[in-house]
Amino acid sequence: MVIDRRKAILFTSAAALRLVLFFTFPSLPVLLTGRVEISTPVTSFKRLQEGLFLYTHNVSPYDGGVFHQAPLLLPLFALIPPSLFSPLTAILYIGLDLLCANALMHITESGESGSSRLFTSPRKDMKWDSIAVASAYLFNPFTIATCIGRPTSVFTNCAILYAIAQAVSGKPITSMLALGLASYLSLYPALLLPPMILLCYDGKARETKALPNATFSTATYLSVFSASIAWFLHLSKILTGGSTAYLASTYGVHLLLPDLTPNVGLWWYFFIEMFDSFREFFLGVFWLHLGAYVGALCIRLRTQPLFVITTLLGIFAIFKPYPSISDTSLYLAMLPLYRHVFPLMRYTFFAMATILYATLLGPAFYYLWIYAGSGNANFFYAITLVWSLGLSEIVADSLFAVLRDEWEVERPEMKGKDVRQI
Amino acid sequence: MAQDIGTGSEDANFKMASRPATAPKQPPPESSKSIKTRGLVILSFWAVVVFLGLPVWLWTTSIYRASLPLQDMLDWADGKVFVPNSNAARHALNVLQACKPTFPLQIAIEAPFLQEVEAAHLVRMTQHALDDLNEFSAHHLRLRLKKTFLSQDPQNASMAVTEDEYAAGYLKDYGATDGMDVEALTVRLQPKTGAQAARAELQSHSAKLDVFYASNQAPSVSSSSSTLATFIAGKLQELFAEEQAIIAYILQSAQTMGQASQIALSASSTPRELRPRFHRSLNPELAAKMDSRMTRSLKYAPTYHITVSLFTPSATPSSWEIESALAEYFTPLLDSISGVSNFTVDTQVQLYAAFSPSVQSPEYDTEQQTWTLREEDLSGFINAAEWPLSPSIGAGPTLNFVLYVPDRSTSPLVVKGSRASSWLIPQWGGVVILNPQDTNATSSEATLSKESIQPALLTFSHQLLSFLGAPQTPPSLPLQIQTLTRLRAASLLLSASSTMGSLARLTVALPSIAIPETVSSAVDTTLMHLRTTCDSLKGGKFRDALENARIAEIQAEKGFFEKSMVGQVYFPDEHKIAVYLPLLGPVGVPLLMSALKELRRLWASRKIRQPG
Repeated sequence: MVIDRRKAILFTSAAALRLVLFFTFPSLPVLLTGRVEISTPVTSFKRLQEGLFLYTHNVSPYDGGVFHQAPLLLPLFALIPPSLFSPLTAILYIGLDLLCANALMHITESGESGSSRLFTSPRKDMKWDSIAVASAYLFNPFTIATCIGRPTSVFTNCAILYAIAQAVSGKPITSMLALGLASYLSLYPALLLPPMILLCYDGKARETKALPNATFSTATYLSVFSASIAWFLHLSKILTGGSTAYLASTYGVHLLLPDLTPNVGLWWYFFIEMFDSFREFFLGVFWLHLGAYVGALCIRLRTQPLFVITTLLGIFAIFKPYPSISDTSLYLAMLPLYRHVFPLMRYTFFAMATILYATLLGPAFYYLWIYAGSGNANFFYAITLVWSLGLSEIVADSLFAVLRDEWEVERPEMKGKDVRQI
Repeated sequence: MAQDIGTGSEDANFKMASRPATAPKQPPPESSKSIKTRGLVILSFWAVVVFLGLPVWLWTTSIYRASLPLQDMLDWADGKVFVPNSNAARHALNVLQACKPTFPLQIAIEAPFLQEVEAAHLVRMTQHALDDLNEFSAHHLRLRLKKTFLSQDPQNASMAVTEDEYAAGYLKDYGATDGMDVEALTVRLQPKTGAQAARAELQSHSAKLDVFYASNQAPSVSSSSSTLATFIAGKLQELFAEEQAIIAYILQSAQTMGQASQIALSASSTPRELRPRFHRSLNPELAAKMDSRMTRSLKYAPTYHITVSLFTPSATPSSWEIESALAEYFTPLLDSISGVSNFTVDTQVQLYAAFSPSVQSPEYDTEQQTWTLREEDLSGFINAAEWPLSPSIGAGPTLNFVLYVPDRSTSPLVVKGSRASSWLIPQWGGVVILNPQDTNATSSEATLSKESIQPALLTFSHQLLSFLGAPQTPPSLPLQIQTLTRLRAASLLLSASSTMGSLARLTVALPSIAIPETVSSAVDTTLMHLRTTCDSLKGGKFRDALENARIAEIQAEKGFFEKSMVGQVYFPDEHKIAVYLPLLGPVGVPLLMSALKELRRLWASRKIRQPG
């Protein structure tokens, strides 16, 4: 029971740290909830409270155009008694973080990152154990800030991690249900469907020690996924009084970007500046850009679907319509699974320094723009560009490292030598 | 990314040192599996571009252009449609479309003391005389004999006929909406014993002209000419001379504008033919008068806002019975012209209103014992900086009427020279200086009574009519309002038509602007109402014509100023490169290059395979 004790200590200390932050600094949750880096229009806790208020007063939560989140969150939060709302939501979010960590530990223990069905890395013994991966997630400042700021993207992250955990342990049905929930909550996880199907297929194959029928499995996974989405949408329709108006103010907002509140992403500034007549076209271009990587990565990295998911999560954290540091924390949670390729990465110092630089200067520039008035929108946008640069550096570098790792299996004699373009 | 790894090689320094440059080391050949994977990766990117990107591009950037009846619109706007003489043969092609605004005025003749045959003969002769006098064919008077009961009962006929009818007057008739206009004017022929020559009297509150003639002037059926007929014709011509001139002026200015716009297109001889005709009917003096009248009057709007203000440099008078005065002296006029435009009225009082510093303070004229304002100062009389006269309060343009009550120490105040106490500021409003009746009265008059405001309000009424563009003559108000109806109908018809033309030319000139469905429907409505207007004018239904012309004008403006049309104007095709390239260029170049490389490889491998 050594492992379990370590896990207990880790979880207890992580929960204690969050509880201390929640209850000894009562102004901290309020402060973080309002930060644009944490709360986007589609995940903000404040907007959720507004929607909840309308919902509990029998008004359509989407009236007023403030609330853009999935309707199923409302009855969940409506269960919490208003007198204990603040402490109980704190405990709920801490629980979610621990669940995420638990899922991460499952993924790590499966060893899928080091050796998948079709590929085994020569460096797989260098990997971190599950406690290390979980603590890298739980004590990541981005994760902690997200937890205190309570955006609803935590639910999405948890659902995604559970989908992965179930997939690697050979339970494709529950995995697809979890992915359906994530897609229902935030739409963009639907793009993870192809690599997730591959991962489920590999997981199932490893579990049963035999190759299942590819077409049949894919069809099953697809139909389970669609059925779960349909079920959630049906429930939402019942909840919102039988109308489908909520679709426009939830997924419509993701797709059409009507709310240009600043965030750490690249879309808001671009669409503030965009000429109206080209707005629809560039919305299409941005979404296609987001989706274009899915197919190519699945083809190129067919042998390591988990890494496809990881990389896609990184790409989403940079290029999705309303990104926040909660998406970054999800990507940074998955990345330590590939600890064994870290030595092959070339620009870790540069990327880390960029991320740190953006993390420190971002709030400062936002303050200069919004409160002090001595800066303008370009200040904040420039720093989000730096932030995205740092993240994309990590994404590209880790991709490079994994490919190099793969290549060294093919040509062992080149181990340890530099790459050069000829 | 695939190339990156696949073409990896050794350390450069090591290579340089160990091998001669002439024999570079070749990388080991790529496995067929990695080549296939690379092809698939490139294909997957291109599949997104072709199957999703292209449809999105076509779907989101296509411009919706509703079809417009361009030829109809241009025809309406073309001056040739409005050629006021009857050379219709020249434009035989346009006959179906052509709208020649004509103004056939019905004039009823009541001749209760004449035999029917005699009267009919008189009407015929008068009509002949009128036709001879009239030079302007678009505007013509048609006489009609009105059968009256009086002809059976000549004894009872007298001036006492139905005074009620007179009192109720024209205004009631005008308010009726049966569509068909009543006669523009009724001429009553009455014999008057002892009169030497015929005499005409125009009723000022109804559209009636009384003609008194000596009994011996009554024409016999046999005579071919009659002084009475000539007299009536001359009188009628005189009454409508100004209206004719104004209409000719409006048509001509539209004509010259139309010609100017298409002078490059066709070397039509029409203008040269027309000029002398117009110049005959429109002498320079009259034309100048027309010009000043046009600059003075306001641009047409469906609603005007009227502000009546009381300004005084001292503390008295501090109130006025404006509500009841307006109701009694002003509102009836507004009601009677509500067919032309609607009005909203508000009032205000401003005490201690000082002149602006640029105006010299009034001088005392010892001869006349009055205070005088210099004429040059009248334009600066309104202290725009300090007097609260907002330029626009209501929906439409604002007309300001200012009643200025001078201080007792500087009263009576008049304008130097003309000794007038009221004047008009073009496009802005009117000013009346109201001098207290007796300067010695006690200063207890804090309130201006209804009666004391009356003259000022009457002046304002006159000023209002001239702002609306009503003619100065004839002095009868109903006739003036009728004239105003016809003028407005004509000018709105012309302006809506020219707007249609501009819209059509704009549509043709800018093929890249979007034309939403609303514009197309506005154009259809406009054209339909223009046609109705034209028919109504021809049929003499001027109120109908004005109503339709107003709708046409509103719809034409709505179509022309549609907001969503101009969005695309700023993006001619060459500017679109600047929109697309910064983002799509960096993305597109690698995509394109990799596709080319891949194609070249396929080509080469096919070449190798074919001979082998």
